[in-house]
Amino acid sequence: MHISEGVLSGPVLLTGGVLAAAGTAIGLKKIDYDRVAQVGMLAAAFFVASLIHVNIGPSSAHLILNGIVGLLLGWAAFPAILVALTLQAILFQFGGITTLGVNTVNMALPAVICYYLFSPFLQKKDAIAITASFAAGFFAVLFSAVLLGIALIFTEENFWEVSSLVVIGNFPIMIIEGIVTAFCVGFLKKVHPEILPGLKQ
Amino acid sequence: MTVMKQFVIIWILFWGAAGTAYAHKVTIFAWVEGDTVFTESKFSGGKKVQNAPVEIFDMNGRKLLEGKTDKQGAFSFRYPQKTGMKVLLHAGMGHQAEWVIPVEEFQGNGFSDKENTSAVGAKPSAGNGLGKEQLPESAENASVSPCLNADNIRDLIDNTMDKKLKPIIRDLSLLRNPDHEATFRDIMGGIGYILGLIGIGAYFNYRKKRKE
Repeated sequence: MHISEGVLSGPVLLTGGVLAAAGTAIGLKKIDYDRVAQVGMLAAAFFVASLIHVNIGPSSAHLILNGIVGLLLGWAAFPAILVALTLQAILFQFGGITTLGVNTVNMALPAVICYYLFSPFLQKKDAIAITASFAAGFFAVLFSAVLLGIALIFTEENFWEVSSLVVIGNFPIMIIEGIVTAFCVGFLKKVHPEILPGLKQ
Repeated sequence: MTVMKQFVIIWILFWGAAGTAYAHKVTIFAWVEGDTVFTESKFSGGKKVQNAPVEIFDMNGRKLLEGKTDKQGAFSFRYPQKTGMKVLLHAGMGHQAEWVIPVEEFQGNGFSDKENTSAVGAKPSAGNGLGKEQLPESAENASVSPCLNADNIRDLIDNTMDKKLKPIIRDLSLLRNPDHEATFRDIMGGIGYILGLIGIGAYFNYRKKRKE
C-alpha cells in the first residue's frame, strides 16, 4: 500500500503533500491533548502493523490498521499516521520521504471517512457496534486501495486495472482488518467504553 | 490506566506476530559475472517478484534494454557495453526499486579479460616470429602437455574462479545493499520515537495546564 519513491510525478506528490499537511493541521487542532498518549499508542500500533505480512495472491500485502486508528482517533489519525509513516520510511524503507504526503492521505483519509461513517454506531448495542467496526476495518482498506489507484492514474498505469489489482490483492487484509477492528472494539466496549467516540459524558 | 490497558492490548496483538515480521518493500539487486549481469527481485518477506518489467538505464538515463523477471524473480542479460548501469524494477501498484551497478564492477570481467588474454596471447606468437631461440622451449612445453598453452590455462583459471566466486560475488553485491530488512532494533527504535513524541506532547500539555 506504500507507494515507492520515484513512481509518482511532481504535481501528484505536491497535491498529496498539501492535502496531508491540511489533514494534519486539522488533526492537531482537534486532538484532545489529554488523550495524546492514546494517539501515540495507535501510531505505534500502525507503525508495527505493516510488518505483519499476509502473503496471499500475486503481490505481498500487510496489515494497515487504519480502520481502528480512524475509529478511535477521528481527525487525529492524520498526525498519528504521518508520524508512523515517517518512521516506516526512515527505518524500514517503506514508501519514501517524497511520497510521504501521498501515502499519508491514502491511509489517513479513509480512516477519517470511516470515523464519520461508522463511529456513530459504536455506542449502540454490541452486535451493531461490532458489525460497524468490522465494516470500518474492511472499508478503510478498500478506500485506501481506491485512493492508491487514483494516485497512480497520472502515471502510466490504468486506473481500473491497478485499483482492482490492489483491491483483490488486499481482500484478505480487508477481512482480517475487519475482524481485528471488531475484536478491538468489542474488547474496548467491555473494558473501557469511554475510549470509544460518541459517548455523552 | 486507560492508556496502559490499551497499550497492553496493542502489545499482545502485535508481539505475537513480530516473530514473523518483515519489512514491506520491494528490492532488486544486481551483480556482474563474466559477460552477464544477474538481477534478483523480491518483496521483503521473501516473496519473489514474478513477471515484473525490469528496465536497464546507463548513468545518463538512456535506456539500454528491458526485460521481465521470471518465476524466481530473476532476470539476467549480457551487457551491451561497460558503463555504470541503473536497474529499475516496476513491481506494480506503486512499488518500484532501483539498483545501481557502478562501472568498477565491470572491470576485470568478461570483455576486458578476453581482450587481455588475446593481447597477452599475441605477444608470445609475435616473439615466436621474431626470435627463433624461443621456439625450442615452447616446443618442449608443448610436448610435455600438448593441450595447455598460456591461453588455455588462463581460460581454465578464469572459468574456475568464476564458478567458485559466484556465491561470493553475489553476497558481496548484496552487502552493498543500503536497504535492509527491518530488524528488532528498527522496530523498537520506531516505537521509542513515538513514545518520545507522546512525552513531548504530554510535557507541553502539562505546562499549559500549570500556567492556567
